Amino acid sequence: MTNPTKKYLLLWAIFIAVMLLLPEFVSKGTLRTIIFANFLAIFAISWDVLSGRTGYISFGHPFLIGIGAYTSAILSYRFDMPIELSIPLAVLTTTIGGTLFFLPALRLKGSYFALVTLAFMELMYQLVQVIRPDLTGGTRGMSGIETITRGAVNNYYLSFALMVTIAISMWLLMRTRFGSALSAIGMNEESVRGSGLSTTKLKLAAFMTSAFIAGLGGAFYVHYLGSIAPRALFDINFLFTIIVSALIGGAATIIGPMFGALFLTILLEALRPILPGVERYLIYGSIALIVYMFKPQGLVVLVLDTLDKLRSIISSRS
Amino acid sequence: MSDNAHLQLDHVVKHFGGLTATNDLSFDVKHGESLGLIGPNGAGKTTIFNLIMGEYRQDSGDILYQNQSITKLPTHARILKGVTRTYQVPRPFSEMSVLENIQIGLMPNQLREMIFQGPDRQKEEEIARNVGLSEQDFNRPPTELSIGDLRKLELARALATNPSLMLLDEVFAGLTLAEIAQIAELINKKRQEGMTFIIISHDLRSLEPLIDRAIAMSFGSIVAQGTFSEVISDQHVQKTYLGDS
Repeated sequence: MTNPTKKYLLLWAIFIAVMLLLPEFVSKGTLRTIIFANFLAIFAISWDVLSGRTGYISFGHPFLIGIGAYTSAILSYRFDMPIELSIPLAVLTTTIGGTLFFLPALRLKGSYFALVTLAFMELMYQLVQVIRPDLTGGTRGMSGIETITRGAVNNYYLSFALMVTIAISMWLLMRTRFGSALSAIGMNEESVRGSGLSTTKLKLAAFMTSAFIAGLGGAFYVHYLGSIAPRALFDINFLFTIIVSALIGGAATIIGPMFGALFLTILLEALRPILPGVERYLIYGSIALIVYMFKPQGLVVLVLDTLDKLRSIISSRS
Repeated sequence: MSDNAHLQLDHVVKHFGGLTATNDLSFDVKHGESLGLIGPNGAGKTTIFNLIMGEYRQDSGDILYQNQSITKLPTHARILKGVTRTYQVPRPFSEMSVLENIQIGLMPNQLREMIFQGPDRQKEEEIARNVGLSEQDFNRPPTELSIGDLRKLELARALATNPSLMLLDEVFAGLTLAEIAQIAELINKKRQEGMTFIIISHDLRSLEPLIDRAIAMSFGSIVAQGTFSEVISDQHVQKTYLGDS
């Protein structure tokens, strides 16, 4: 086993152990904050699989999450479909529906791709309010949607189990040659084609994986919240929180976006008593800026480097 | 045109706005043959490579690979058929190691194999050694390589796709004499194994022993073709290279 693999396995083990014991030590309020962080981590991982690797920056992930959330909410709330069925259907709809929308956009490059995906999000926001408001609940959305489980502790374990399953699966998937090929697209797409690989096929596979996770996360999220409204999902701040989580933690690492989401959510909550207003975002923006300037690879690399330094200090003393 | 043609360009025309990059161009290269493409900058040599690889699409005319049209195929499908190229300016994956770069070239185009089969480290190392990359460079990123080693890496990644026809674009540019000799030896070895080559080079002295035949181009048209000495002594070629005086 290579040294970096060992380091990552150690990080996984510590992380899972801490997270499993967490409900013993923290308040229910804090747990609710971490439940949101778990969902944010799922969305950031979904973004990372596509954008962190291939460099195709998606501004449309709330659109995908929204398809998942709305589909499951409508099916269960309006048509009394059991959640066991509505969630898989929502994931399927997001994967297929999202792909149909994004497919033409994947031919675009750089900022054009980002702008088109942003347009999807805005379009969805407008459409949800005017098309069949009897189904979507229009501007006000829906409330009283069936929840999967009750209580902070149960929801915490559910969201954590979902997040960690997705994270480990994606971490393993991205360690295969498929992950390497996606990273190669981010470095030089022409050279990937020049190596005999269909970049269209690769990007499509990355996108479908990303949409699958977004749909899954979106569907579970709506059945945790029990309510849904267009501005809560198709919102630029929500989008930026997802992207900043991925970047601050370390793009193209899977673990990075997960840590980024936790760090960001906990930071914002910790700042709430000191700075109750939007000034908190100023601090979070500054921290993000400092991380990008001094450690653009993200916090995970910073943690690994620190572990390395600690180990060398310990070994030099012994 | 001969039935033995490995690759054939048939009346290929490519315009860039008002500029004619290739002007009704027809030529072929036979199986196992090595063809040199010479001409001044802007003659259309690299455009020919871009057209053969499908990076550009010609406005008219056809490109045949083993007597089958490949005009409608995307780049990666042409590579899967057995044609590959190197670039004048090497284009490595900058954040990957030398071996990881070669791994991308070796990768199958099937998702299932990409996911469920690990990389073939031995094969990666074998290819790296074949092109003359030294073992201490295997885990280095391309940003730490000399231009000579970058060209070797470019060759390695191209060879990893298992080609039968290689297009080499200015493969000797910026290399030392020792490095040129090393790459020339590799090309000769591959020629003996039956690989077909089309080589673009301004370094005529290095090119001469590596080719069976040469084509000289100017402004998108063929101005002379034949053996190297025939082409180089052609009046038009002399004028293009050395001027009127």
